[in-house]
Amino acid sequence: MTTTSPAGAPPAPRPAGPPPGRTARLIAALGPHATVLRGAGGLLTLIGALLPWATFVLNKGPYPDKATLQYFVAPFGVTGFRWQLLLFGIAALVLALAPVPARGRLLRGLAWGIIGIAVVNGLFITVEGGGLGAITVTDGSVACGAVVTLLAGVLVELGARAGGIEPRPVWTWRFGPWVERAVLVVVYVLMLFVVAATLTSGGTGGAANRYSGAVFLSFLAALGGAFAALHASGLMTWVATVAERHRVFSVLVLLAMALALPLTAAGNEYWMTVAANIGVYAATAIGLNIVVGLAGLLDLGYVAFLGIGAFVAANLSGAAAAKFDVHLPFALVMVISAVIAGMFGAVVGSPTLRVRGDYLAIVTLAFGEIFVRTAQNNIFGLTGGSNAIPGIPQVELFGTRFSDRIAVAGIQLPAGVLYYLLIVFLVAIVMLVFSHLKESRLGRAWIAIREDEDAARAMGIRTGPIKIMAFLCGATLAGFAGAFFAHKTGTVSYESFRFTESVTLIAAVILGGMGTVPGAVLGASLLFVLPEKLREFADYRLLLFGLALILIMRFRPQGLVPDRHRRAELARDPADEPPPGGSTAGSRAEVAA
Amino acid sequence: MSAPSAAPEAGRTGGGPILAAAGVTMQFGGLRALGDVSFDLMEGQIIGLIGPNGAGKTTLFNCLTGLYAPTSGSVSLRGERLPQDPALVTEKGIARTFQNIRLFPSMTAEENVLVGRHVRMKQSPLSSLLHGPKFKRSEAAARVRSGELLNFVGLGRFSDELARNLPYGDQRRLEIARALATDPSVLLLDEPTAGMNAQETEATRQLIFAIRDLGISVVVIEHDTKFIFTLCDRVLVLVQGELLVEGGPDEVRGDPRVVEAYLGAPPEEVEARLYSSAAVDESPGGAHRKEDGP
Ligand SMILES: Nc1ncnc2c1ncn2[C@@H]1O[C@H](COP(=O)(O)OP(=O)(O)OP(=O)(O)O)[C@@H](O)[C@H]1O
Ligand SMILES: [Mg+2]
Repeated sequence: MTTTSPAGAPPAPRPAGPPPGRTARLIAALGPHATVLRGAGGLLTLIGALLPWATFVLNKGPYPDKATLQYFVAPFGVTGFRWQLLLFGIAALVLALAPVPARGRLLRGLAWGIIGIAVVNGLFITVEGGGLGAITVTDGSVACGAVVTLLAGVLVELGARAGGIEPRPVWTWRFGPWVERAVLVVVYVLMLFVVAATLTSGGTGGAANRYSGAVFLSFLAALGGAFAALHASGLMTWVATVAERHRVFSVLVLLAMALALPLTAAGNEYWMTVAANIGVYAATAIGLNIVVGLAGLLDLGYVAFLGIGAFVAANLSGAAAAKFDVHLPFALVMVISAVIAGMFGAVVGSPTLRVRGDYLAIVTLAFGEIFVRTAQNNIFGLTGGSNAIPGIPQVELFGTRFSDRIAVAGIQLPAGVLYYLLIVFLVAIVMLVFSHLKESRLGRAWIAIREDEDAARAMGIRTGPIKIMAFLCGATLAGFAGAFFAHKTGTVSYESFRFTESVTLIAAVILGGMGTVPGAVLGASLLFVLPEKLREFADYRLLLFGLALILIMRFRPQGLVPDRHRRAELARDPADEPPPGGSTAGSRAEVAA
Repeated sequence: MSAPSAAPEAGRTGGGPILAAAGVTMQFGGLRALGDVSFDLMEGQIIGLIGPNGAGKTTLFNCLTGLYAPTSGSVSLRGERLPQDPALVTEKGIARTFQNIRLFPSMTAEENVLVGRHVRMKQSPLSSLLHGPKFKRSEAAARVRSGELLNFVGLGRFSDELARNLPYGDQRRLEIARALATDPSVLLLDEPTAGMNAQETEATRQLIFAIRDLGISVVVIEHDTKFIFTLCDRVLVLVQGELLVEGGPDEVRGDPRVVEAYLGAPPEEVEARLYSSAAVDESPGGAHRKEDGP
């Protein structure tokens, strides 16, 4: 290692530890200019929002009014990502000047939102416009919005780091119970609108709207930045603790919000169908979360249980292609599907007594493959083979078919809303089952096995039956969801239960946060909305999907909604608080005496 | 100090040994880790188990708890032969801690102890699902008991702390609390003071006495001979898998065979070591480390 200090000069005093890297030195050098950087970044964001972004005017596709890049050119049409950037810019300016707690942390969230918006839209225009000329200079027209905004985002980030990243503040405000509940209601209503906006942003996509994917991704970037900033402010943690204090109330309001989704912008048939599908996978993911998240058993063939539930329901529903000529009521079908899927779960779970870890994953993988092959071959005439089982009748209640449009109190609700409401209730039940099991002797035994199987055995846990219980419970929930799936889609084919679905479900559980209910729901929502939204990227869809996964796992390895304990742990910044009882062992010595 | 409410359930035999190992032999391929080890643990006794590294102490614990199936010999609790399954052995009333701490790291201290209650709780799968009044009662009782045990080992304040965040010494105490939660009649402690300072070691000694006073018989593995000789009613010396000497602390301390075999050094030097609190384990590059390894 060579020294760079000039000869004769005394070596500069260095703090202990590894020498700072180049970035760290740059940040340190920028220290005194933090406010300037932050302010400049904010200002530049505003400018970027108002500049033209594309030098091209593209005109192709069946819908000329939409199929242009006009959206990105028009400098004064402050819509879409432009107004998001304006908000971010103003927020950055305010934070640069006003002494808000933890503003460095807040600014970082904003910076990454700005960078995300710039990158998504910039990339999209570059690809559509055929080269970097599309976002810089071509044929005399200049459009540097993307570049300026990217620069602005980088400046804000540098400014935030130069000024120092403070620990996340912890708010301990307490208000009267009704004030707190009112706050919660406001937060949940906002959440409902955010969900509706996320679902509908960019429209339905496909050939009709070539921008849909880019608009959606850009919106996600803005949302991510906004959430990061909110989280940095400590407000989200505060809301979470308030919600913990009013747990039952929170659950009820959240349920009401879920039921109110059809009344928002997302209230049309298309989004109701998407939301119902998300519900199916959310319920399935919660079931898988028992096996993977709680008991720590990797199951790579889990979607087969959803399939078993769906095929059982299809065969009992009176469809023409069904094996049995019976038409049982939906509630009964659901129970039977769940029970049969659960039985298969116990059977598949039994090899867990003999194999561990990777070997178990292979056994479950094999089971998943066997299921798909046998279903493809129409085993015992139960699965319809490649013809599938079509024509499964709609669920009916009091003569109303669940696929019909209905009107409640004069409000016309979209078709499919009844299925949506039904799946909301089913998911709620599945959530309740999961959290009840988790907070019981059985649930603790699962977690103990996940943490240390030998120690669990030494504590008297009979790991064999307990593991089989995990498979049984998980499969039962999946079978439950499968019955709904069969009726909702009307056709059950083996194609819906391939390996990729199992992998996506695992990804949903890990992405959302192992062992938590909201995590599984959020993960399932993301993983099943993203493909829907990125339809027009056909070829890049899986690539983007993988990229998103990698990014999330890189920056949030504990998942989007970490476990309660991990949350508690994260809430406490290890840097500013010594580990508990570090030197108190002596003072407690006499306690045991 | 609040003591946990009750000593283990009834069914004691008067007079006889509570735990008896008879001719326990453990062969790992060509390695004879335990050769014909027999001993009796009387009720309310604290037995110390010492021996050089690799002598087979941990292996003996593993045989007693059903983790290993001995090649020959038998282990019985109150005259009843023990099954070959750690879970069942724990249910019968033997609990243990591990030499290298094996808590459930991402569970809280309280949850770790609650897992220990597993065998003493009754919750049907259905009641776990419905959380009815009976379930709530059983859960509340388990939490009360866990709280008592955490207080008993001096960790009451840390019940909501993640096990992995606790300091080393507290983790060892938590492991003891978790083992006690199974309502054992015999407790096996594998090097409970390893890595502790003098103060913590003393607290652990008091803790073990308190456990004995609850009517629980204890077997302690420890390299710190001073600790063992001042704690135990009886001491077993295991060398290369053979039970070399067995007797009261004073008897064992003075036995030339122990001095010879255990430390392999001239008696004067050994005396000095036996009475220094530094564990043999800690002597760097000691000539007696793993000399009998495979
Ligand atoms: N599962 C196993 N397979 C093979 N050999 C083993 C196994 N377990 C222990 N041994 C061997 O048995 C011998 C006794 O090991 P054991 O761990 O019981 O010693 P110990 O007295 O506890 O030593 P220490 O003081 O270091 O803890 C060692 O030689 C060890 O390598
Ligand atoms: Mg050992």
